[in-house]
Amino acid sequence: MKFATFKSAAAALTMMTAATGAQAQNWEPQGPVKMMIAFAAGGGADTLGRLLAEEIGTRYGWEIIPENAAGKGGLTMAVALKGEPADGHSIGVTVSEATTYAIQTMPNPPYQLDDFTYLSTLAGTQMGIIAKPSRGWETLADVIEAAKAGEQITVGAMSQRLADATYVLGKNNGVEFTTVMTGGGKASLNAVVADDVDIAWSAGAQTAAVKAGEITNLASAEVEPLLMQPDAPQVQDFNLPYDFGVKFIVVAPAGIPEEARETWQHHIAEILNDPESKLAQFTNRAFAGPVVVQGAELEALMQESYDAATGLLDASAE
Amino acid sequence: MSPLEYVWAGVMAVIAGPAAFEIFGVGIPITLLMVFGGFLLGVVGGATPGLAGPFLMAVSLPILLSIFGFTPDALLPVLGFLVGVMKGATVGGSVPAILFNTPGTPDAMMTTLDGYPMAQKGQAGKALRTAHFASVSGDTFSDLVLFTCAPFLAIIVEAYLGFGEKAALIILSMAFIAAVVGVSPMKGMIAAFLGLLVASIGTGEDFYSRLSLGTEVLASGVPLIAAVMGVLILGEVLVAFENMWRERRSQSQIKEVAQSGDNHLSWKERKALMPFIGISALVGTIIGALPGIGSTLAATLGYATGEKMHKGPVKFGQGTPEGIASTEAANSAVSGSNLIPVLSLGIPGNVGAVFIILAAESIGGFNPGPTVFRFTTSEVNPELVIAFGLFTAMMLANIFNWVIGGRIMAACGIMSKIPNQVLLPMVLLLTLTAIYAQETSFVAIYFALAFAVLGYLLRKLRIPTLPFVIAFILAGNLEHAFRQAFAVSGGDPWFLFKSPMSLFFLALSVAVVIFFSRPKKPAANKAVEAERDA
Repeated sequence: MKFATFKSAAAALTMMTAATGAQAQNWEPQGPVKMMIAFAAGGGADTLGRLLAEEIGTRYGWEIIPENAAGKGGLTMAVALKGEPADGHSIGVTVSEATTYAIQTMPNPPYQLDDFTYLSTLAGTQMGIIAKPSRGWETLADVIEAAKAGEQITVGAMSQRLADATYVLGKNNGVEFTTVMTGGGKASLNAVVADDVDIAWSAGAQTAAVKAGEITNLASAEVEPLLMQPDAPQVQDFNLPYDFGVKFIVVAPAGIPEEARETWQHHIAEILNDPESKLAQFTNRAFAGPVVVQGAELEALMQESYDAATGLLDASAE
Repeated sequence: MSPLEYVWAGVMAVIAGPAAFEIFGVGIPITLLMVFGGFLLGVVGGATPGLAGPFLMAVSLPILLSIFGFTPDALLPVLGFLVGVMKGATVGGSVPAILFNTPGTPDAMMTTLDGYPMAQKGQAGKALRTAHFASVSGDTFSDLVLFTCAPFLAIIVEAYLGFGEKAALIILSMAFIAAVVGVSPMKGMIAAFLGLLVASIGTGEDFYSRLSLGTEVLASGVPLIAAVMGVLILGEVLVAFENMWRERRSQSQIKEVAQSGDNHLSWKERKALMPFIGISALVGTIIGALPGIGSTLAATLGYATGEKMHKGPVKFGQGTPEGIASTEAANSAVSGSNLIPVLSLGIPGNVGAVFIILAAESIGGFNPGPTVFRFTTSEVNPELVIAFGLFTAMMLANIFNWVIGGRIMAACGIMSKIPNQVLLPMVLLLTLTAIYAQETSFVAIYFALAFAVLGYLLRKLRIPTLPFVIAFILAGNLEHAFRQAFAVSGGDPWFLFKSPMSLFFLALSVAVVIFFSRPKKPAANKAVEAERDA
């Protein structure tokens, strides 16, 4: 194919996408949209949600009212969102594990994976296990060493999954950690800074503190090295063969009208793909940049995350 | 950034922040405008018997939120407006107290003692000027204490208190509030425990909805704003309706006296008032910093201290400016320092502070508590900038107060002529609208009405409502601190009693309740009754 042909084909394709985009924008909310954020004000999920609300408001004139429905690692919000009408006027901002992990631990889960429409991812975490450098630990190996020497190590975790992971980490390394639930957002970072816990899981809120040398990552809990500290070892090297990376996602109750779903996806993608948008800039600053996964691909990702959760649960139940 | 740069950034956030409009090319910052608007509303509302600062704050909050949205840019204008209302209402309350012997706000109760006799002597102007001067001086002093103390207190708390100590500290503040508000600590405790009970509906870490009786309505918990406004404002409205119905035959006409006496307040006279203002401002500031003690007690104590100091020809209670100065300086000094526990611990000490916390929580991006005052040098701590922006807004409100507060007060006498049968339905309608605007669900209105009945019953049983509200707001923090303290201790059942600091806080909680349970002097009882009936 000649370049000119390619160019016109690409142009035609763009126009087609634009056309479907325009079609998708037929849907408009009738009145204010309720955005429920599954974590406390001030943290990563909260800022992502509020910036998304702001950008959609200025670009499309929609009135979005964010509110925090924090607690139980996203479960509170999911239960509340499930009860909302599936008409595109109620959305939630949460993390992928909220609808994949906790429900597998319950005899009577209040919702299932398919109770929600998964609209879009926003960003991925930079999950690490953090500590103050003044403690003298350089990697997770030093902490395990200290625990083996009899020191009681307290670990801050913001979700049931990470609490279980802490247990498995200890078990697989022949030690026992004391887990403290710290809540989402900056809470686990604050707990480490204030010496309330020894080490903690942190999903990206630690970036600035790490760059300032106030906090260090003892290990990356993603499958890849952390952007802020590429030399930190991987948790997988400590007999914890799982990916603890989490995606921040926008969800709606299952069964929202197809038009509404397409419009939401279109608007979210447009804002994330615009490097000038506040949302995209924030994802670059606090996480590893915007992540746009939507539609069937996102549903597959959720299923994958669900199956991985089953694996970790089996390991912690042994 | 160095601490001084933070202070400067906070000042700039207000002054160089988003402009509302331009005059001759100079942008007028929106925050400045909002502080001014809040201040005006506060003075006028404070001068209207039946309205008060907390009510105005409660009703303005949802309206402000719908105007400014939920972005961090909204924080300073909204908080600025609320602070303006808080300060305006404090000076406004003295107007009807002086002119018509009816306090506009409960803390202006003691102002009537000397203000009204002065007005009868034809010296209303002088009395108003005295009240204004004392009030602004006390307020400014208290703000300065807040600016210096809050950051240090917050840093100490963050550095020395672990999970267990924080839980014990919350228990102490709740015990304190329960003990000092109202006639008996036991009634205060009933209210506080009721608040904890209501707050535990649908919350907690467990995966089932606690205490929801299996219903959908209760599963997501009680809506915060509906509960708070229902108990605080609607309950009060119900009581006021009942009183109107009882007193419908005894409508007395308010009489005005022609003003002919010396209405000027010279610099020499102001200087002579300074000792009274100074002592009262100190009393008010100390009392304000303790959670739960209202401005009414501060006013009473200020008045009593002033009375002991006074040696002039006109006795306290017969119309002397010193009496007004002692009262007003004390009750105004409360308004700054009662933000100390809010900003340093996240614990609201009075109703006004409750709405400051609600505003910050609804908008997001500013979580009052020890983490606000983290002077990070590498990266800007935006919450700290907001905190200093808030301080700047408070200072701006004081400047407005100094410059034009007196003139506005003089024009507000007319407000107390609004009859209750006109005012109360408006209050009711505005409150319900505000709740609906915030929650956008009719269920919230039902909750609000249910809590209105609760608020009414509490008042009828002479159980104070403030401990209920504050316990309701703090319950989540308390439970979280408990759980964390328990987890960190490795599951030790004695986790609360393990450190000397938390033992000290707990012992103090018990001591406070026992201390305030002893029989009280008649004067203190009177103040307490005024506060409770407020």
